[in-house]
Amino acid sequence: MNLFWREMKANRKSLTIWSIGMVILIGSSMSKYAGFSASDQSVNSLMADMPDTMKAVMGIGDFDLATASGYYGLLFLYLILMGTAHAGMLGANILAKEERDRTAEFLFVKPVSRGRIMMLKLAAAVTNVSVFNLVTLSASSVFFIYFGEDEHFAKDLLILMVGMLLLQLLFLSIGMLIAALLKRPGKSGALSGAILLIAFVLSVAVNLKEELSVLKYVTPFQYFDAHQLMETGFDPVFTGLSVSLTALFLLLAFRSYNRKDLNG
Amino acid sequence: MNVIEIDRLTKQYGKARGITDVSFSVKEGEIFGFIGPNGAGKSTTIRTLLSLIYPTSGNAKIFGKDCVKFAPEIKKEIGYLPSEVFYYDNMKVGELLAYSASFYRKDCTRRIKELAEMLDLDLGRKVGDLSLGNKKKVGIVQGMLHEPKLLILDEPTSGLDPLMQQTFFELLREENKKGVTILFSSHILTEVQKLCGRVAIIKEGKIVTVESISTLQENNYKKFRVETSSLPDIAAFQISGIKDLEVNGRNVRFLFKGDLNKIINIFSGLDIVNLWVEEPDLEEIFLHYYEK
Repeated sequence: MNLFWREMKANRKSLTIWSIGMVILIGSSMSKYAGFSASDQSVNSLMADMPDTMKAVMGIGDFDLATASGYYGLLFLYLILMGTAHAGMLGANILAKEERDRTAEFLFVKPVSRGRIMMLKLAAAVTNVSVFNLVTLSASSVFFIYFGEDEHFAKDLLILMVGMLLLQLLFLSIGMLIAALLKRPGKSGALSGAILLIAFVLSVAVNLKEELSVLKYVTPFQYFDAHQLMETGFDPVFTGLSVSLTALFLLLAFRSYNRKDLNG
Repeated sequence: MNVIEIDRLTKQYGKARGITDVSFSVKEGEIFGFIGPNGAGKSTTIRTLLSLIYPTSGNAKIFGKDCVKFAPEIKKEIGYLPSEVFYYDNMKVGELLAYSASFYRKDCTRRIKELAEMLDLDLGRKVGDLSLGNKKKVGIVQGMLHEPKLLILDEPTSGLDPLMQQTFFELLREENKKGVTILFSSHILTEVQKLCGRVAIIKEGKIVTVESISTLQENNYKKFRVETSSLPDIAAFQISGIKDLEVNGRNVRFLFKGDLNKIINIFSGLDIVNLWVEEPDLEEIFLHYYEK
């Protein structure tokens, strides 16, 4: 457990900064929404005039931006972007840093198996990601308490946050896998960022072009669509896919890290 | 009993680096030197022993157990000092040592205090602010705080001032008296000569020889330098056993291995002004192994 607490402490600062960023994002969105809702229907008519491409790029889609939940649905896209960016970087760094900072020769000569070290690092990373999710949940609750017009919001918000958590875990596992596979793990943070960006651009492309809808299965950003989550709940296929991929990536990460020659 | 048994250990890494068929064993209670120039494969061998990297073929046993399969178990009794010491920079020395100790299931606080006092190490400073020598001291304490039965030291003296090296060697001798086995890797021969009983010499990834220090020195050349009053007859020196003959006016230098009476015979025909006979130091013995 010593390693777990060490990792918690080592990541405390970064988690705090990310959390502050998240609160600022939600807070500033709240004040924008306050402006929107005051101007009533004009927002929707304004949005209706916007070209579809623009809407797809910004993630507006079919949301009714005049309602709190519709507006939040748009905001959700940016929340998961932050959540997954944090998770991907964390997953990559928590493993890669031992080799990058050359502390591998300290940690891996201790009487602990690599598997156990990875388990404890994973536990610390999952805790970090969950705290970040809870911060998002809390800040979002404030949003809804202020503006929420119906009683559905508590349920909607919970569903959305569970979706976000699943996505965070997926990107966490991608980050860890990259760090486990790369011979020079110093670049794993950047690479996991690049994968995130590609997935996001792909997701926008899917929104733009009907013909690309097959790619829905490729980019995790399509797995948990806010609109659908709020209307009909979790899609069993995408949810199952997300959970299985996470498990698979973690398994692969454990296996390849166990066999890896550690740089010193 | 052998504490370390290395059997045809091979690690191929990229193209040039690595080790080939490295075999040697270290007996219990021994201080064993592991010598070779930089890049010869010392660290690769050690990192394989510690299963930081995995062998391509061959195997190694520590305390009679396979070093890969039983890695977590055997590491309880191994203390390791890496050649370059890197730690979590924003930790304090005391914190880092306590963290290191927390991996072993025993109370190490007293030992940490003892070692820190002996090495004059300030536990309150941040690791990131330490000089190279002080970092090395942290490494020494870190490697010894759990009182391991086997110490693996990779270039342990680099960065330590001569006085601290003395203290460190005393510490090692003390540990060795208690029964601790030490594998001491170095490219500095004089320190190996001071401390070790046997050595393995590694060159370009292969073991050249495993020998006791005394045998290495016995089976070797003596260095002669002689100054004569008149120009010497060079032909007299053309006997078997003389090597590297160098004549510079009235000064003659050569290496000799064999019956010393033959040399005395040659000298008896000369009018000698001055004479030097020296044991070669290890450096010269090893240079002969190092040469490509």
